Amino acid sequence: MSDRVVITGMGVISALGVNVEENLRALLEERSGIGDITILPTRHRGVIPVAEVALDDDALGALAAPRSQRSWTRTALLGLCAAKEALAQAGIDPAAARTAFISATTAGGIDKTEPVYDQFYLPEIPDEVAQYLGTHDPGDHAQRIAAELGFNDLVTTISTACSSSANALKLGDRLLRHGLTDVAVVGGTDALCKFTVNGFNSLMILDREPCRPFDRDRAGLNLGEAAAYLVLETEAHARARGAAVLAVVSGHANTNEAFHATASSPDGTGAYEAMRQALAMAQLAPEDISYINVHGTGTLNNDASEGIALTRLFGSAVPPFSSTKSFTGHTLGAAGAVEAVYSVLAIRNEVHFANLRWRTPLAEAALVPVVRTQRGARVRHVLSSSFGFGGNNTSLVLSAPVQQG
Amino acid sequence: MKRPVYIREASAIGPQPVFDTDRLERVEAYTGHPLRSIVPALRRYVDPVRGRRMEKVARIGLGAALNALDRAGGALPEAIIVGTGLGCMESTERFFVPLLHNNEDVPNPTAFIQSTHNNVAGQIALATNCTGYNFTYLHRGISFTSALLDGWMQVGLEGRGTVLVGGAESITPDYYTVQRRSGIWKQHDVPNLEVLKATDGGALCGEGAAFFVLGDGPGPGPAVRVVDVDISFRGGPGSLRDRVHAFLDRHGLSADAIDLLMIGRNGDGPQDTAYAPVETDLPLATHAAFKHLCGEFHTANAFGLWLLWSGLRTGHLPGEAVLHRGARSNMRWGLLVDHFQRKDHSLVLLERCGPEHPDAQALPSGCADQLR
Repeated sequence: MSDRVVITGMGVISALGVNVEENLRALLEERSGIGDITILPTRHRGVIPVAEVALDDDALGALAAPRSQRSWTRTALLGLCAAKEALAQAGIDPAAARTAFISATTAGGIDKTEPVYDQFYLPEIPDEVAQYLGTHDPGDHAQRIAAELGFNDLVTTISTACSSSANALKLGDRLLRHGLTDVAVVGGTDALCKFTVNGFNSLMILDREPCRPFDRDRAGLNLGEAAAYLVLETEAHARARGAAVLAVVSGHANTNEAFHATASSPDGTGAYEAMRQALAMAQLAPEDISYINVHGTGTLNNDASEGIALTRLFGSAVPPFSSTKSFTGHTLGAAGAVEAVYSVLAIRNEVHFANLRWRTPLAEAALVPVVRTQRGARVRHVLSSSFGFGGNNTSLVLSAPVQQG
Repeated sequence: MKRPVYIREASAIGPQPVFDTDRLERVEAYTGHPLRSIVPALRRYVDPVRGRRMEKVARIGLGAALNALDRAGGALPEAIIVGTGLGCMESTERFFVPLLHNNEDVPNPTAFIQSTHNNVAGQIALATNCTGYNFTYLHRGISFTSALLDGWMQVGLEGRGTVLVGGAESITPDYYTVQRRSGIWKQHDVPNLEVLKATDGGALCGEGAAFFVLGDGPGPGPAVRVVDVDISFRGGPGSLRDRVHAFLDRHGLSADAIDLLMIGRNGDGPQDTAYAPVETDLPLATHAAFKHLCGEFHTANAFGLWLLWSGLRTGHLPGEAVLHRGARSNMRWGLLVDHFQRKDHSLVLLERCGPEHPDAQALPSGCADQLR
């Protein structure tokens, strides 16, 4: 029996707040973070709602407090905030043991390239522009955070579209199970940028109103920005150093639909397989799941195929479920980790979070999500799903830290 | 349960003529950079109409991936794992630059869709109908070795039979300029076969793709296995030399056991000095380099691994690759030591299994022996 992998630290920054506590409070109070654009310089202000972290880059830099502010993109700063919080809770010094840092992003550091792109090609580049040369690529933020916090073992970055940071958690769990690292800090970060706002807008899948996941009349998703990291280690390692266990990583699966570059298959096969395989790895039956944090972007395509997949897997007994993207928007590369943090919060606070603004069941599957925050719910096992572009689907099962039998 | 992980087959596309073969016979010389891939006819693998719409990194990635599977006897992968430092930068720019210049009036979403970094892995999955595990790593100089580590875990520790791993990179002219201005490329042209003698900073820029079919059993050709993969940020808490010795120790090997050292020297004088202590500690091994042949890029070490695999498997290395001729002509243990910008460090240990290669040729003496 391989040693179980447990979560001993978490950090998150999103439109709901700059730490875990603020995020939890907003979730419990049903306060959505979705609103007008106030920070991103774009012509879509007032038209396309998003879920922004309510700090401009200077304020964010002050909060993240790297040793030098030079060359930090917004994506990297968000990540630094969340990674610091996670390490502090776990009481881990990345330089002390074999500590892997596995990050994830979709847009990387493009946010700081956007305003200065043309100046990169001027004969003389002003220094305030030159600091962002070569900060665009996805690996930049992870290297920067790793250097800041003292990581020196495996540091890598995953980019599998919207399942990126769920996949970071999967990789961390595998490395630990195989004894290839002692601690893994896993998660992801993505700042809002013109590139993704306009990209998703060109796909015509952005709702002009706050999104309505799993509602028959849904009209698309809202984009958000966030970062979240979790500290993973084996239960034995956590015990040996006296760390408190927040939750257990019980299962995870990644499947690919090989169906289409962006769309999910209409029958939800990829989503179904990811959820089924994650349950199988956790050695759980569908009825063991207490709560599902669904992918639930609010697009016509995703929610229909995910709804069908849920019905296929759980039959008429679909557990209480909600899409917390109705609070945070879709935070892309960060979403899987943000929702893993929320899943742990659901376990620890005995709560099912609300699926805001829901009114009418889907045409494709007669499912009713959790519409109001449910307190006092006993939450043993949470299924959290992240499905991405390219049909890249990942589901996680996180469990309460009960003693093993 | 730990099982041996074999490289069943491999395929590469790059500035050297290496497509659909297991040896580099005739080295291509270049006078300037970036070094560009010699792109073979890929009609067999990539529909020409779709191929024209595909950006280069996707085309060469898909071509090398499907050729590797072909060479492995039509293997179907259970998992597809790709490393690429910049991903689909060409599509990114195709969407991004008009957006910036035209007040966010954007072209159609095709370029945005194709810009998604896991596009190459997705295209391979579509072409092979592989609905299994599909991952993409984008982390500069360890993008490919992250994919390799993942695939090694899948086959060696998680019971999968056949896993496709690879790296692919093609730099756009704009991003080349950005990187040159950030100081990682030489500011002037240097003949690629001379570059390892350089003492100034900067490397020659290159590109390419290399894919490997990993399996739980050997492939049709002589068997080479991936013994271990080690990745570290800044080379770990100690020196790179310490890291290499600890890595070999884990497998009960002394430095003298290594027959072929494939080193990531790229002609950036100050940065290449990091390799010297490792080279000093492995005097019996033959030392070979690869980045002067393919240029430097985030997944250049995928070509480095291809050349190491090729050397172990065929007993042949082109003279232009050899820096130092070792004591032994038979080659069993191969070690790749590579860093990118002194941050991303990779070590890969290969072992050639079975008896001595019957037609192992004595390695030619290196063109760059005078280096040390």
